[in-house]
Amino acid sequence: MDYVINFLSGSLYEGLVYGFVTLGVYITFRVLAFPDLTVDGSFPLGGAVAATLIVGGVNPWLATLVAFIAGICAGLMTSLLNTKLRINALLAGILMMVSLYSINLAIMRRSNISVLREATVFKKTAQLFGVEPTTTLSVIFMVVLAIIILGILNWFLRTEIGLALRATGDNEQMVRGLGVSTDMTTIIGVSLSNGLVALSGGLVAQKQGFSDVGMGIGMIVMGLASVIIGERLFRPRGVTTILFAVIGGSLVYRLFLGIALRLGLPPNNLKLVTALLVIIALAIPYIQKKVRREWIPPAARM
Amino acid sequence: MKIKRNTKIMMSICLLAVLVLVLPLMNACKVEEVKKVGISQIVSHPALDATREGCIKALADNGYVDGENIEIDYQNSEGDMTLVDTISAKFVGDKVDVIVTIATPNTLSAIAAAEGTDIPVVFSAVTDPAGSGMVESWESHPNDNVTGVSDMIAVADDVDLITQIIPDVKTIGTLYNDGEANSVFLVEKLKEACEPLGIEVVERPVSTSADILTAAQSLVGQVDVIWIGTDNTVVSGLEALIGVCEEENIPLFPSDVESIERGGIACYGFDYYDIGYQTGEMIVKILKGANAAETPVEKGKIISLSVNTAAAERMGVTIPQELIDAAGIVYDE
Amino acid sequence: MITNQSLVKLRKVSKVFLRGSVDEVTALDNVRLDVGAEDFITVIGSNGAGKTTLLNVIAGVYPPEKGGKITINGQDVTRLSEHKRARYVSRVYQNPHIGTAAKMTIEENLSLAMLRGQSRGLRIATDKKRRELFRSVLFPLGLGLEDRLSALVGTLSGGQRQALALVMATISKPSLLLLDEHVATLDPQTNRIVLELSEIIVQKEKMATIMVTHNMEHALRYGNRLTMMHKGKIIVDIHQKKKSDLSVNDLVVAFERASGERFADDSIMLGNVDS
Repeated sequence: MDYVINFLSGSLYEGLVYGFVTLGVYITFRVLAFPDLTVDGSFPLGGAVAATLIVGGVNPWLATLVAFIAGICAGLMTSLLNTKLRINALLAGILMMVSLYSINLAIMRRSNISVLREATVFKKTAQLFGVEPTTTLSVIFMVVLAIIILGILNWFLRTEIGLALRATGDNEQMVRGLGVSTDMTTIIGVSLSNGLVALSGGLVAQKQGFSDVGMGIGMIVMGLASVIIGERLFRPRGVTTILFAVIGGSLVYRLFLGIALRLGLPPNNLKLVTALLVIIALAIPYIQKKVRREWIPPAARM
Repeated sequence: MKIKRNTKIMMSICLLAVLVLVLPLMNACKVEEVKKVGISQIVSHPALDATREGCIKALADNGYVDGENIEIDYQNSEGDMTLVDTISAKFVGDKVDVIVTIATPNTLSAIAAAEGTDIPVVFSAVTDPAGSGMVESWESHPNDNVTGVSDMIAVADDVDLITQIIPDVKTIGTLYNDGEANSVFLVEKLKEACEPLGIEVVERPVSTSADILTAAQSLVGQVDVIWIGTDNTVVSGLEALIGVCEEENIPLFPSDVESIERGGIACYGFDYYDIGYQTGEMIVKILKGANAAETPVEKGKIISLSVNTAAAERMGVTIPQELIDAAGIVYDE
Repeated sequence: MITNQSLVKLRKVSKVFLRGSVDEVTALDNVRLDVGAEDFITVIGSNGAGKTTLLNVIAGVYPPEKGGKITINGQDVTRLSEHKRARYVSRVYQNPHIGTAAKMTIEENLSLAMLRGQSRGLRIATDKKRRELFRSVLFPLGLGLEDRLSALVGTLSGGQRQALALVMATISKPSLLLLDEHVATLDPQTNRIVLELSEIIVQKEKMATIMVTHNMEHALRYGNRLTMMHKGKIIVDIHQKKKSDLSVNDLVVAFERASGERFADDSIMLGNVDS
């Protein structure tokens, strides 16, 4: 039984902590329709900032907050490249992602920083409640944090600004016609998104005991896969359900990876498993329609 | 209708999850007395693979055979950092008897995951265990249930070797990926070794093996020799570097044995298989009840001089006969 | 009280596309136009006459050529971007998809529109009070939308979406309403409902309106002023009194006299086809 609980709680923790990346990817790709690739750089940025500050003796809570803010700055740069210099969104993201590699190295002054011996938010929380920093504790920690973040996002996306943000991805022309600067909504959205991604990076670094300059590789793919799985599996409608579906997608994704690993699948095949999972998620509605002999629209490019 | 469909999907997922979870459970019940060893490797790479093989061989030579009286669970994250922690958590969840980690990031992750449990972590192929906080110090680390074998190369020995072959060396160039923790550490060591000898170090950081050619060409005319550490990126693109060195007559000194065979001049090095074997012997002691916290961290024991006379000739250098005589391995073609 | 003072003034407004290329097009040619605060102007003209370009220039999608000037309420807005002009100018497009956001609910769409040109804050966008307002503006449409506030706009029919777009364009009472062939894609039945709604709303809110149409019958029936465009110029401009006596035939004659060309454009519907 221990084995099952361990597996489930481990997946739950990972699903939630990487769920913030998924939320960030959801905000750019889905809410804003802005294909932002900064993510692969802002995730290790969060780790780099948090780890460097913690090693420097800064309170881990503050360090995590600064990691979040650093992510916001990265997103800000990407969105400024796009809105003020009119650089294509994909390219702006790639440019920022590449720059962040050097920036992250400059922050850490080496490629890998260990926070094994340092105080982390998990250890601080354990101290606060006078318990051992176990997996159970980190799961509870993440559940509480996820509820807080989901609550804030759920509120934000319903505010006047939040509405304008969502409408930007839905119908940019209408939004401009209503007197909203879509530049502004893009800047807010992309910044917020990368803030969440960096927050995740900061937390991951503290849990796994190190920050590594290479730890962002594949983040965007993971985030997109989780978003697609969440959307297809839970068929969300309305802001609240969408947010939960996105986190749910991240959980299912982690659960699948965990199962694949435990089935003894060689890890070099895991990427293939991810791709298959996304293909299945994407193809379900098509196959359903095919079975029901419904009309199927032509293949889309976007 | 919609709820029904979702429920169906969720139920299938749960069913699959339960199946997957129950299967190993039944396994676990069967083999109660068998010791479990979890091996976590960061990526497939000739040196790291050799380390693992050496390790498993040492276990077998000492009577611990996989599938018989021990169960080896080998997991490789293939460079995906998000899996490093998943693997560590799996080993801790499986309550393995020892976690063996090959390379730095997964060692750190395993130590973080095993904290609060009594599972020892034995690392291998880690260059700087004290500097990265794995152990308090190499010799004594009573609070860390961690030990292992470091692959720290003796950079000073390599520099000494260079001065024996090229006595008037003034500048040493080096290529390394500044994204690899070990490489950055080794370049620091190189500078420390060169400073008292009045030798200048010219650094050329690269980020992918595609950058090697350009970086190597930029060193032409600026350096007397090129030395490279055990850098995964540079070693994997070594041929590009050898090409430039042969064309421009710049002696190239890699620091691992395999790179000498591929066309470097000479090094004091060890075989990663031996490092792994040494780690395996350490694991045997721990499986027999030794305390990891009381086991000092070791350096690679078997160090030998490797030279490649043909490569030296192609780069316009003659290796002194006494060095060739002293070498453990001589490549001459 | 001055009732029909000029609200919008266009002076020497020109627009050239693809300047310098073989495909150079003069879409607007030195246009001068005064729109009174209670004018409801219909604009007809063949394809490429410059009708949509005129609306785009007024809305600020792009600026006119150098030397042109546009003022709204006496303020020079020539170089003001589209979203900054939105406060004064709102627009309903031919395509209902452009005027509404499909993945958002009716109440969210209305809430977005309600704050046209105003700063947006961190207040929840759809509260009880606002819903009351939304119901009261949707009720007169007679489409039952007031009971479906939380329905996604993407689930509405084209006519319903266009009616909603019209309400969204007028809910914040802008000074100038631009109707850009806004019923062209609707079926005859809905087409009539939306047009009549437009007239009712315009009269009730007393906002200046420019309606571009392909349909002469519509141009004659609605509004109090009729203009005709040809090759980037306004060639006919008929005010209320004369307009009420006009027939489609009179318009054709007026066109031929002003342009010096024969009227032969199938794209202008003579009106008896669909109304």
